[in-house]
Amino acid sequence: MELGLAWLAAGIGVGISVLGAGTGIGRLGAAALEAASRQPETAAETRTLMLIAAALIEGIALIACIVCILLAVKTS
Amino acid sequence: MSAAHTGTNGNVFTYLLSKLGDHHGFYVGPYKVLDLPVILWDGGTLRAYPSTAAMEAAGLYRMVEGHPVRVADGQRPALDLSVTNLVVYQWIGMLLLGVALWRAVVRYRRSPLRPPRGLQNILEAIVLFIRDQVVRPNISSTTLSNRLLPYFLTLFVFILTLNLLGLLPGGHTATGSLAVTGTLAATAFTIINGGAIASIGFKKWLKHLLGGGPIWLSPILVPIEIIGMFAKAFALCVRLFANMTAGHIALLSLVGLIFFFKTVLIAPVSVAFSVFVYFLETLVAFLQAYIFTILTAVFLGLASEETH
Repeated sequence: MELGLAWLAAGIGVGISVLGAGTGIGRLGAAALEAASRQPETAAETRTLMLIAAALIEGIALIACIVCILLAVKTS
Repeated sequence: MSAAHTGTNGNVFTYLLSKLGDHHGFYVGPYKVLDLPVILWDGGTLRAYPSTAAMEAAGLYRMVEGHPVRVADGQRPALDLSVTNLVVYQWIGMLLLGVALWRAVVRYRRSPLRPPRGLQNILEAIVLFIRDQVVRPNISSTTLSNRLLPYFLTLFVFILTLNLLGLLPGGHTATGSLAVTGTLAATAFTIINGGAIASIGFKKWLKHLLGGGPIWLSPILVPIEIIGMFAKAFALCVRLFANMTAGHIALLSLVGLIFFFKTVLIAPVSVAFSVFVYFLETLVAFLQAYIFTILTAVFLGLASEETH
């Protein structure tokens, strides 16, 4: 019973964190594309800034995933 | 583990994770090629054995679930300093880099004015990219960026080599282990704070802990800034580890579908998606090496900024 609940928590947790990270990276990508198409001459700089911000968002999502993995491999 | 090995209803996920972890012995794919020495520091004495079999024959320790434990009480030894699979893969990476870079260096020494050839072209592209796109724009102090450029170059090519070694058929990913990425992140942490102290002095570095706020906010801001210092390094470590491991788990799960459904018909789907994930992983291998390097540069730039 408790193991089942842990797996349920892991599944729901991964889903919610992916929702957050997906929204974040989606908005970031949209904003970066808009910036790059408005000012193509600064596209390279925008790309670097976008990658850094994407990495920071991804870091949070990955830490959430690690918590979920710890729940999923819970043995007792 | 034995349940998963025999194909009964074991936890497949745990089994996959154990395949991605570290092993005692040099493995290519799932096959053991070479025995590696086991070195244990326990109870104040250092014990070394040429292989796990020799360790078990000596009678003091035995292997349980891939780790040596004491026969007497079933506990792990205090420190396991063994040469393991991933250590060997790091050595292979260092050797490859050393040989490749040495050949280029010799050519530059012998004929510095001849146009670059073959490997030199790749190297020059990497060096210029890291210098002009990663290090110099992010670190405002010129002396600091010039002094630390070799560190950033080493970081980039080392992580990239380990990532790509893991993508070779049969290769294991050393960067897919928390021990390796943790060490890289600890080095980055030292470089970030040491570089900042060396560049702007200890007093100004301490001033950064205020986060630019007024002095009466320091009870809140100083703990946050100190946690942030460690969180940056922790996030570097987890990001690289999780990105390299996630791709491998996706690949193993896709191939595992064939065995899960016990039919050949699923194989074309599995293979097609595996190829797609493999190409994605190649992109991620380059991207994560770049991200680790540029984030270290950005954090160093932030920490060594002159306060106003």
